[in-house]
Amino acid sequence: MKDYEIVVGLEVHAELNTKSKIYCNCRNAFGLEVNTQVCPVCMGMPGTLPTLNEKVVEYAIKMGHAMHCQINGVCKQDRKNYFYPDLPKAYQISQAEVPLCGKGYLDVMVDGQMKRIGVTRIHIEEDAGKLLHDESFSGSLVDLNRCGVPLIEIVSEPDIRSSAEAKAYLETIKSILQYLNISDCKMQEGSIRCDVNVSVREKGATEFGTRCEMKNVNSFSAAVRGIEYEAKRQIEILEAGGTIAQETRRWDDVKGMSIVMRSKEDAQDYRYFPEPDLLTIVVPEEKIQALKESIPELPNVKLQRYVFDFGLSQTDATLIAEDISRSKMFDACVALGTCKPKSISNWILADIAKYTNETGKSIEETALTPEHLTSLIEQVEKGVISNASAKKVFAVIVKEDKDPLAIIEEKGMKQNSDTGFLEQLAKDVLAQNEKSVTDYKNGKTNALGYLVGQCMKASKGKANPGIVKEIVTKMLNA
Amino acid sequence: MKIDIAHIAKLSRLHIEPEKMDKFEKDMAAIVDMVDRLPDVEDELTLDAEHPMKLREDVAVEHKFRREEMLANAPVVQSGCLVVPKTVE
Amino acid sequence: MKLYEKNAAELSAMLQKKECSAVELTQDVLERIEEKESAVGAYVTRCEDCLDRAKAVDDARAAGKELHPLAGIPIGIKDNISTKGIRTTCSSKMLGNYVPPFDATVMQPVREAGMVITGKMNMDEFAMGSSTETSYFHTTHNPHNLECVPGGSSGGSAAAVAAGEAILTLGSDTGGSIRQPASLCGVVGLKPTYGSVSRYGLVAFASSLDQIGPFGKSVKDVALLQSLIQGHDNMDATSAYRTYTNLYDNLNGNVQGLRIGVPKEYFGEGIDAEVKTAVHAAIQLLEQNGATVKEISLPSTEYAINTYYIIASAEASSNLARFDGVKYGFRAENYDGLTDMYEKTRSEGFGDEVKRRIMLGTFVLSSGFYDAYYKKAKLVQRRIGQEFAAAFQDCDVILTPTAPSAAFKIGENIGDPLKMYYSDVCTVTVNIAGLPAVSVPCGKSASGLPLGMQLIGNKFAEQTILNAAYGYEQLVGGFHAIAETL
Repeated sequence: MKDYEIVVGLEVHAELNTKSKIYCNCRNAFGLEVNTQVCPVCMGMPGTLPTLNEKVVEYAIKMGHAMHCQINGVCKQDRKNYFYPDLPKAYQISQAEVPLCGKGYLDVMVDGQMKRIGVTRIHIEEDAGKLLHDESFSGSLVDLNRCGVPLIEIVSEPDIRSSAEAKAYLETIKSILQYLNISDCKMQEGSIRCDVNVSVREKGATEFGTRCEMKNVNSFSAAVRGIEYEAKRQIEILEAGGTIAQETRRWDDVKGMSIVMRSKEDAQDYRYFPEPDLLTIVVPEEKIQALKESIPELPNVKLQRYVFDFGLSQTDATLIAEDISRSKMFDACVALGTCKPKSISNWILADIAKYTNETGKSIEETALTPEHLTSLIEQVEKGVISNASAKKVFAVIVKEDKDPLAIIEEKGMKQNSDTGFLEQLAKDVLAQNEKSVTDYKNGKTNALGYLVGQCMKASKGKANPGIVKEIVTKMLNA
Repeated sequence: MKIDIAHIAKLSRLHIEPEKMDKFEKDMAAIVDMVDRLPDVEDELTLDAEHPMKLREDVAVEHKFRREEMLANAPVVQSGCLVVPKTVE
Repeated sequence: MKLYEKNAAELSAMLQKKECSAVELTQDVLERIEEKESAVGAYVTRCEDCLDRAKAVDDARAAGKELHPLAGIPIGIKDNISTKGIRTTCSSKMLGNYVPPFDATVMQPVREAGMVITGKMNMDEFAMGSSTETSYFHTTHNPHNLECVPGGSSGGSAAAVAAGEAILTLGSDTGGSIRQPASLCGVVGLKPTYGSVSRYGLVAFASSLDQIGPFGKSVKDVALLQSLIQGHDNMDATSAYRTYTNLYDNLNGNVQGLRIGVPKEYFGEGIDAEVKTAVHAAIQLLEQNGATVKEISLPSTEYAINTYYIIASAEASSNLARFDGVKYGFRAENYDGLTDMYEKTRSEGFGDEVKRRIMLGTFVLSSGFYDAYYKKAKLVQRRIGQEFAAAFQDCDVILTPTAPSAAFKIGENIGDPLKMYYSDVCTVTVNIAGLPAVSVPCGKSASGLPLGMQLIGNKFAEQTILNAAYGYEQLVGGFHAIAETL
């Protein structure tokens, strides 16, 4: 078999979480009783006209900035004409020639390496309604609640070369949408969906192969499965001496296979033309800039920093970067510069995560401050208190605004790290436990643990166990 | 100019009765011939930035219309939904 | 003189002085409808509650409430303007039973002013036509000669005013649908500047060209009604955001120094000689009374009809796609599956002219033809607009015939689409350029039918064209819009 390369382009549709719909003031809400969130406008009644929601434009521009897109401050909307029962006007108001956001890119991390994926465009459009099917009924039912829910469509360049890259790209988009708080990204509610374009070619080839578009990909894992299935299908055809037909296919995630929806010859003629009911969208340069400045450091950028600057693993870095609360705490702690980033990461992903999971609270809702947390970590790193003591202190500072140093003092948690004192202590303990010393020298190395334990006991738990172990080992081997 | 009436009718979701086809084809050809006569303007269409669109504030209005009102004109309704022939998935 | 024969402005004064009541006026119009409607056929739907509404106005007046000058004036509404609770058919089988759950924006001031809505006026199906013959329900007859068409598409609105079956009416104009029937019925009709009257609730034919406007017996009447309906609307993104002044209050008939441009392209061989003679006589009269007249040229006029039919049909093909038998309106009875349901519903629900326009529109937008037709037409549209803008540097109004001929016989042009399309030759440019224009009566044809002339203004220059039209009206001693022979 020849060596093949997979080429993937993705079209991601994300519903925006505005209060009202894109072209009317109906509520933008999910899961309500059928046909209750509709008005003459989104139901396409004769004579009704669209009015564009300003937040949709703002959100799309924010996403454009996040993906380093050129923003088209002067653009328009177009009609995409086709008949289907979930599309009441029989056209979707979308953007064809001039999208709100033009070329850009997104940096994503795949196996600890950065990969840049080109973005062709981001445009705004309206969602369609839903068709409900029921075996017991010979027709289909139409619910128009979702009509006019605002969408952005993010189209990538065919820069993706594996299902892993596709997954990283999709997850990065999702985390950015959540970071910007412009989409709920609830897969099960269909608020983020994608179409996948797949082709294959021999490694080293410069021309692209014939692509197939896969629709109905409703989760990121389905995208991964779909890409792998489709690439395998195409390679098998090529290996058997066949050619790929350009077609639109439908992904069936339950059966794990794609089936032909329509061939290139049946391609729909959407008869795009400028939407005459809407005027030109003009976003002043100052507003575009202000939106750019409103964007925080994004999770994909944080991820790079955490991995490459602080040496966190990609897994840990992702877990922190993609969670706004965690990364906020992490960044604040690191900024104080008093303890190791790795230690902060460990605390956030272990004790803090455990506490927030158990209580259902966010980090902001706890009493924890970056100052208290770093001060606690510092005491552990310096050996002033033991890990066990630190957990006790944490249990307090997570609930109340109390200085960890004061707690350590109060509860007498400070360890004794005075080498002279500890050497005398060890000498006494060894003298009292000659049998164990002999055992150790005869090769029973577990006697060491017993002796260290006796030292700790003699110090009433105050001795720094690390230092004690060092001293005892040195004495035994002397 | 002869246009592909069958194709255009399909795109328009119209069905022209066979007995009317001849006249339709003749009329359409005449109309297309008429509109065909346009000068070549050496220019590109530009967007009119002089008249920017006023955008709507993002405010949702609750229950402006009752469902019964919205569905009152529908040919077939069941369980609060519009009914169409089964769509092939 | 019967009340229905009077102008709205006169009736408004009489009502305010309590020389007649709204009930008496409405009663008079209703009697006239009873008497003449079977011959004219101006209405598609008549409102049963006219007298109640008229009584409410009289009661309010008796209670000393301050009322709008148009309170109690009977008005007919073209049947493509959505009226909450009143069937709105667009004269199509497709919407034969459609009752909108909302009012068009223009209906709010009409209702708030206390105008008495008499009913919904007949029209060409979906406003596509120039004779009102494409109405699914019936043909409207010209009150001046019942064998002739009233023009179209707002034929019912124009005929009702000429017949005294309504005092005022609203129409819509996409390529001449207010002005051409006004001309053929001998009444005044105004097509306002694109964007000055909200289109929300006007069932769209061609969104970038459609505009609602008033019909009346006099320029004053039209100024009164236009002042009521104009204004910015948040529900219509194409509505112009600006200050609108009352056109009626500022009406003066002064034509002294008025600069009139007469474009030679509007007096070509397709225009009947008697139309040219009548319009030239009007020009001369205005000149004798202090206006200056200048021949101008609008060279792209020869492409106007082509440009218009491409743009209007393209938009129509998309606007009318929503009529698919799913959400409202007609659905075919027997079908096999979704596509068949769509095709049968649309084929049975639409008439032939609507089908032709949808097909033309689909064609000019279809893959491979967009640049050659739609894009080219949009470029010519811009050029036509530029030519008008240049012309208005040197003149205040542009004066042309409204229609190439007087009213033609019913059935005369209906079999020949191109001949019918030519009826719009003088009017489409105004829609293409988004300008205001008013048609006023301008003499009679040899056979005694009304002729009309069109005064075109620069964008938002409604006051200028209405002043000129009012000046002309005074010079000819009024228009006598009621058809005397009816």
